[in-house]
Formats: sequence, C-alpha cells, structure tokens
Amino acid sequence: MKRKSWIALALVLCLMLCLAACGEKNPPAPTEAPGTAPTQAPGTAAPAPTEAPAPTEAPAPAGEPKILKLAESFAYASLDAHKDWNGWYTSIYGLTETLFKVGDDLSVQPLLAQKAEAEGNTWTITLDPKAAFSNGKALTADMVARNLRRIGEVNERFADMKDYVITAIDEHTLTITTPDVYPTLLTDKLCNSAFGILDLDGSADLDNAPVCTGPFVVKSFEPEGTVEVAKNEAYWNGSVKLDGVVFYYMNDDDSKLMAMQSGEIDGYTSVTAAAKEIFSADPDRYVLTVIPATRLQFYVLNENRLSENVRKAVNLTVDNDAIAAFLGGTVSPAVGPFGASAPYGQVTKPGVDTAAAKAALEADGYTLNADGMYEKGGKVLTLNICFYYARSLDSIALLMQEQLKAIGVASTLTGVEDADSTYRVTGDYDIALYCMIADQAGDPYYAINALFRQNSDWALGGFRSDECEALIDRLQSETDMTERSRLANQIVQIAIDDNAFGFVGLFNKTTVAAPGVVNIGERSPFDFYAVGADTDMP
Amino acid sequence: MGKYIAKRLLHLAGILIAVSFLTFLLMYLAPGDAAVKKLNAQGIAVSQEVLDRTRADMGLDRPFLVQYGDWAWKVLRGDLGASFKDGTSVAGKLGKAMGYTALLALGSLALALLVSLPLALLTALKKDTATDYILRFFSFVANSLPNFLISVLLMYFLCVRTRLLPVVADKSLKGLLLPAAALSIPMIGRFLRQFRAEILEQLGKSYVAGACTRGVKGRYILFRNVLHNASISILTIVGLSVGTLFGGSVVIETIFRWPGLGKLAMDAITNRDYPVIQGFVLFSAAVYVLVNLVTDIAYHWIDPRVRQE
Repeated sequence: MKRKSWIALALVLCLMLCLAACGEKNPPAPTEAPGTAPTQAPGTAAPAPTEAPAPTEAPAPAGEPKILKLAESFAYASLDAHKDWNGWYTSIYGLTETLFKVGDDLSVQPLLAQKAEAEGNTWTITLDPKAAFSNGKALTADMVARNLRRIGEVNERFADMKDYVITAIDEHTLTITTPDVYPTLLTDKLCNSAFGILDLDGSADLDNAPVCTGPFVVKSFEPEGTVEVAKNEAYWNGSVKLDGVVFYYMNDDDSKLMAMQSGEIDGYTSVTAAAKEIFSADPDRYVLTVIPATRLQFYVLNENRLSENVRKAVNLTVDNDAIAAFLGGTVSPAVGPFGASAPYGQVTKPGVDTAAAKAALEADGYTLNADGMYEKGGKVLTLNICFYYARSLDSIALLMQEQLKAIGVASTLTGVEDADSTYRVTGDYDIALYCMIADQAGDPYYAINALFRQNSDWALGGFRSDECEALIDRLQSETDMTERSRLANQIVQIAIDDNAFGFVGLFNKTTVAAPGVVNIGERSPFDFYAVGADTDMP
Repeated sequence: MGKYIAKRLLHLAGILIAVSFLTFLLMYLAPGDAAVKKLNAQGIAVSQEVLDRTRADMGLDRPFLVQYGDWAWKVLRGDLGASFKDGTSVAGKLGKAMGYTALLALGSLALALLVSLPLALLTALKKDTATDYILRFFSFVANSLPNFLISVLLMYFLCVRTRLLPVVADKSLKGLLLPAAALSIPMIGRFLRQFRAEILEQLGKSYVAGACTRGVKGRYILFRNVLHNASISILTIVGLSVGTLFGGSVVIETIFRWPGLGKLAMDAITNRDYPVIQGFVLFSAAVYVLVNLVTDIAYHWIDPRVRQE
C-alpha cells in the first residue's frame, strides 16, 4: 500500500511539472502590429523616457472590430461627470469633453470652445460651432451655461460657482462673470474634468448613460466595475479609430501585471517599479512610456521647532536622486513643486552637501557625541518625521532617516493612516511628509496657495513671509502668463531659500501598452486623459 | 424549540445594538472623516470653508449621540441610509455585494468539503503511513500560506503559464473557479486536520471495536456510525467557517475583482463611509448569530441526546 502511495505522489508531481512546463515563458503578445512611436517626456529633471523598439508584427485580421482592453485602478458608481470625481473617469473613458483641455505640454488648448477672452472679471467664451453631442444635437451656449450652473449645485468642490453669473449671449457665445478677477478660470474650472459637458435634456439617465460629446458612447456600465464604450459614430471632431474600449476595474497591481502578461489587457497606467522591471526585460512585447507627472512628494520643515541651520542641514542632506533611484524610477527628483520644463518651474536649490550640513549644525552649537550623533546641552538632536502609508512616503521617511543618521542626526518615524486629520492639522511634527497634485491643469496658483499662504493648509509649519504673501496676492489676479510664471518662480524660490520645505520627487506616469497601441494618454502628465479619437491599436 | 429560537432572536437584537454602537463610536473616534476623504480623493485638497460646509451637509458636525440616534432611528424604520461616498443606497450596495459573497462563500465551502472530507477519511484510515504524512504536510502548508500568495500562485500557473483560466474573470462559474479555489485551499488544510482528529477519535471508541467484533462491514461502520457521530463536530467547524466566509475576503475579492462584501467593507472603512460600515456590521453580526442558530438547530436534528436536553 505504501508503494502505491509513493507512485501516486510521483504521478502528482509529474503532472504539476508538466503543467508548469507547458506554459510558455513568453506567451505571444495580445495585440501585435507595427510598433509605437517612442515615448517622450514633456520634461522635468526626469530620467530620460523609456523607449521600446518597435517590433514589426502582423495586425489583427481585417474586419474584426478593434476593441481595446485597458485596466483602471479606480471605478465610480456613476457616470455623471459633474458629481464627485466621476468626471476623471468619464474623461478617461472618452465620454465627456471639456470646453478647454490641458495639452501634454501643459498649455491650455481649445476643445469644445474655440476661444476665451477676459475683460475685468468677465470671461467671454466662444464655442466651436461644429461641437455636437453623440445624439447629433448641436452644442449651444445655453446648454453649456446650464451645465456650469449645475456643477456649482451638485459638486461641493465647485460650490463657489453659485456666485457666478453665467449668461448665454447667443447660440455659441456665453459670458461668465465672477465676483473677483479670476485669471485661472480656464485651468481651475473649464479644463477640469468635472466640467465635462452633458446633454442635460437628452440624457434619460445621467448616472448610467449620459449623452456627451466625446469620441465614445456608453455601451455598458457596471457601477464600480467594468465599463464598455463604443465608437461615437457621430463624433463632431474627426473620425474615431477604435470600435470600442473595455475598461476593467483592477486595483491590484499583481492582477494587472498578470492580465498584461496573459494578453487579456492591452495596457494600463501607474505601473509599479517591480512590474516595470518585468516589462522592461521584454521590450518586444511591452511598450513602456515614462513621463514626469504632477503628483508631488514633499516635506515641510516645522519652523516653530527647527532653527534655520537645522532646516538647512536637513535640506543639504536629503538626497532626492538617491530616493528616486531607490523608488525604481517611479519618481523623478524634484527641485521645486513643479516640473522643470514648466515656465513656472524655474527654481534652484543647493545640491547635497553633507559637509555644509554638518557645518550648519555646528554653527548652531551642536557637537558630535561619543555615539557620533549631534547634541546640544546634553540633548541629542532627534527629529520627528511624520508620514502616512501611501505614495511611497513610508519609504522616503525611512531613506531620510538613514541619510540624516549618516551625518549624525537622529530621527523617529511617526506613521499615520491619515495625515489630513492628524499631523497636518495639529502641527505636531518636525518634518511632515505629504503628497499632493501640485499642478492641476497647467497653472501654479493652486499649489502656491495651498503651500505658501499664511493661512494655508501648511501654515502650522510656521512659514511666514510678507513678501511671499504680497506676491501671491499679485499672482492671484495677474492675467499675463509670462508674469504669472515669473511671480510663481519668485515665490517658490523664497520658500526654498528659507528652507521651509523640501521638494523630494514628482511621480512619473508610467504606462505599459502592447505594441501598436497608441494614444492611451501615455504622454499626458495628467491621470484624467486616456482614450480619444486618435487612440489606435493594430 | 420555538421558545429557544425566539430567545436566540432576542439575543440577536441586543447584539446588533451593542455592535452597531461600538462600531459607530470607533469610527467617530478614528482620525479623519468622510468629508475629507470624499473631497480630497484624488490628492487635490479643498479649502477649509468647502470642507466645513460639506461636513455640515453630511451631518458630521453634530454630536456623536445625535448622529448615532439619527442613524439608529432610520434603521428601525428600515432605512440603512445612503453612502457618503456616492450617495447610493446602502441596502442596494449590501444586497449586490452579498449576492457575490454568498456565491463565493458557498462555492469555496463546497470545494473545501468535497476535497477535505474524503481526504480526512483517507488520512484517518491510513494513520501513520506515507499517505497520512503527505496529506498532513499538505494540510500544514495549505493552512500556513497567506491568501494573497495562494491567489498569485494560482493566477500565475493557471492564467499566465498555462492559460487554463482568465485573469480578468467575469462573474460566471468559470470566473468563480479561481477565487473559490484560492479561498478554499487554506480551508481544506484546516478542515483536513480537524476532521481527521475527529474521525480518529471516533475510530478509537469502543463501539467501533464492538461492531468490528460483531462482523459489521468496515464501510458500514465508517459511513453510518463514525461519520454520523463525527458530524456534530464537523458541523460546528463548518458553521464557524460559514460565518467568516460571509464576512467576505478583502484580499481574494481585490485580487480577483470580485465585488463582494469584504471589498465593500474595506473601501467603506478607507473612505470613512459610516452608513456602509454600519450596514456591513449589522449584516455580519446577524449572519454570525443566524448561522450559529442554524448550527444549533442542526444539532437537534442530528443528535437525539441534544433533543432530550
């Protein structure tokens, strides 16, 4: 009987080996065709964009519908672009379009509107006369005005819209009068994906099947699940190359990686460092695109607790390049809050200089003790680094601790789940790590207002500068873009020179696609752009 | 029996009040609230003014007892409220997720029982042989492996390497296979050891030796006596597992895109979506109590001694 058991075990093992061996190491690519154009970064001080050689492979059989399959990390319960954050996804799905959009180079470009002109606190918007909904109805100024008013009513984030006077002047012209001069109306609002224009009369069910102007229309919608869109046959802005797209909601990184490997999906964005390494090893099957994006990792140095020399020592010690290298190319080292290619990202900071850092501490009266740590009056300098467990901030905190320890500065790490209800609002930190989208839509005001104002979210960090405050006031109402950039650079430079902040890295947007799949938003630094009329596959 | 069931149902009401109050209190004390989570969802902060207005709209600026009382009063009237995250009905969300979780739970339980019961019988009968050692080793390994590792390994071998099953599974029977297998493997490991121990205990009892002496066939003794007598313990083990399974599995549901209760609850906790959390807690507590009640009723049915008591 024992012999039989051993034979059975041997058979099972053989079967398992066969199963494992019969799988191909490199199964065929899901979609095969002439390769893509090389990737390209709109540029910050980022690593050169990754490129894959373009393989020459056969396209799918003629006559077969071109259905692209993509994975998305988030999914919402409704397709009503005006509510919550749904607009990000209706934009990704190619359903909704805004009056203006932000280009890959961060410039504001016309979309449903042809132009916008400001005079005082009134903006005049002229719509593109060709613009129309997928049901063939022309886009009118009255419909746009109703959409804008509705956004103010249904979305808490834009409740200030209730104070705007929005008037349709004629079929294609409308005016928006704001309480104050508002130079960033286009970037803050009209480019914002929540401002997707819907046919409020023609949509029987805004939550599940809104009628919009985008290159795709809803085919099937599973709330918080899979979304299928089909080509908008009546698209107003050219012909749509794909027949449809399926968006699978997959928020597990391993599942996305394996779905890509098994050829069940044609691409996804937010590729992890580990997955990136796997895809990079097989450039014939996967095209990787890495561009610097707008999500900023930074820290605040608490001026109420840390002297100028200690803050200076920290900033001279933290090595952004080493952190970016550790994070496997998922971030690019930052100098300021904005990418170096943006006109408002032209700032400088001293490089890593541990000798100068030590000198700064010693100038402050700190001396090295027997353990090699700096102390003053018998008390070891120990910094409390606060972080939350997301966006690699935990890794950055650990790396900062190591780097500071190397020059003799001790630190303790305080990890929380939610910074917004703990250290950010209590100010109980020496160094506070945080992550935010610094550049929402090609303008610096949002981040500058959030970071450097005397009543900002980070005011508890103690940074106060009357000069900065006056410059921010000017930035708020300045309409000339060149002057805006100049002001922004000046403001950020003051904060950098004051050692009030440390800007660590800007997340890269990493997209993987099967060869031949192009224009899935891989070149846009923004997460809310994906498929469009020019998206194509073999 | 009727009196017993009524008494247990009365206990259920007390348990639901206590559990819902404690959960509400813990969520209230936890840092962060639904307004912050909702408005800052994509890493873009809003002004304090917007935040305060949203908090007031959601009723989060009211005292704890007022918030709890308001919620409890609505529940008593059969209204579980609407999700803070997207405004959809909590009952609708729970109902949909419950269907998927029930399917996954029953599928994995059936798979676990189908595999573990025969194997437990085999190991008990082949005690201290190579078969027994191998199966016990398997049970040890299966029980020790974390769910995510099992899921990823299954996915890698069955989807990527051999392409027998899809990674992007739909909600069909084929789509159920992989998550059910991932959920059942640790359960098989646990059941195998527990069932084996119970069957061995029964096999060592004098009534088995007596039946053998009287010439009763081994198969008859095994299936009619041993398994029957072991069934009370087996039922208890299975009953406890059903309660856990109906709570949903966050890991399995996330990896396999299975929109069940575990994922719903985890998302609700992350978003501080109190109405959904409360709805989930009420449901889970009720399931635990009811499954235990059904298990107790089953004891009555299986074991005449319990009936007499």
